[in-house]
Amino acid sequence: MDITELKGELERLHSPSFGWALSCCRRDRADAEEVLQTVYLKILEGKARYRGESNLKTWLFAVIRKTAITEQRKRLLRVLKSKASSNSTAERTSFAAEPAAAFERSEVRERFQRALECLPARQREALHLVFYEDLSLREAADVMGVSIGSARQHYERGKRHLRVSLNREELDYGIRWERKETPDAVS
Amino acid sequence: MELDGNEKRLQTLFRELKLADERIAPEFKGVWDRAQAPSPGPSRLFNISLAVATALVVLTLSSLVLWSQIWRESKPSNSVLAAGPARIDLMPPPQSAMSGVIHLGRVEPANRARSSRGDRKVVARLHPNLNARYADVRKADSISNWQSPTATLLQSPADNVLTSLPQLDRSVTELKTFLPNTPSYQNRER
Repeated sequence: MDITELKGELERLHSPSFGWALSCCRRDRADAEEVLQTVYLKILEGKARYRGESNLKTWLFAVIRKTAITEQRKRLLRVLKSKASSNSTAERTSFAAEPAAAFERSEVRERFQRALECLPARQREALHLVFYEDLSLREAADVMGVSIGSARQHYERGKRHLRVSLNREELDYGIRWERKETPDAVS
Repeated sequence: MELDGNEKRLQTLFRELKLADERIAPEFKGVWDRAQAPSPGPSRLFNISLAVATALVVLTLSSLVLWSQIWRESKPSNSVLAAGPARIDLMPPPQSAMSGVIHLGRVEPANRARSSRGDRKVVARLHPNLNARYADVRKADSISNWQSPTATLLQSPADNVLTSLPQLDRSVTELKTFLPNTPSYQNRER
């Protein structure tokens, strides 16, 4: 595939790629952007080459996943090496807790994100690829680099865990809400 | 794939999340341009580290070759040294001292028959100060053997008296025989 043609395809897939990168980077926007940039650099340098053996989206997502894992390892090493990392962490935390963004997020979405973060990485990946990216289980298995049976297992377990987790969150929310509404607390 | 109630609910939640992500997604052009921009820092650092590593490897290899060459050359000399170490005598032997001839610093290889020019070279390399010591020893030898041209004028017939000593376990009468004016001495002289 020609680089100009590939660039067009990448532009078309940019939004879902960013969503997938976000999921791989535990919803950290700065990290997701960095990962995506590294992926594009890999493609430009020819380190990641699409040979047409599989679907372009599947191939791109697999590259994003691998890059995210590598970047995460590097970041972890960097944090362990330097003590100055506390500043950057603080910056990131403040970025995540941006008031405008927090205002935009609905309560339901926030609870859903919390529940997603509690899931094991493989289960989260399987659910994201199927529900968010509309991939089939076979395609999801290709992206994750596992067999279809294993992908199905992660998918089923993930669904179960997510349901339990969401129900618990709703229950907690309800209890807290009731306490707030208690008239004794006012008097 | 048919979705049940729970799956539909999950799908709705994921779609909501997707819409929110699309709003915060960066522009493709910006990310692509940043990826295309050259980053000289790490590559230059890599080049420097590569050069340093190459220099280290070359240095190590050359020193290894040099060391092996020296080791190979010194190997036969070791066998010569093992056969009999060179003996350097800086102290004169007792007999020579008594006879008045002092031998200073005669370097004698233990096995003279085996010594050759090559061996001497090896010995000279192993002992770098040896040449200087040879010169010193030669000088000392010539000084110790020096004789005054007028030394013969100082010799007299009575030198024996001064140079010979009587034995201490003899009686007085016997000792008297050594005196020059006694008849027994004269008889002995005859």
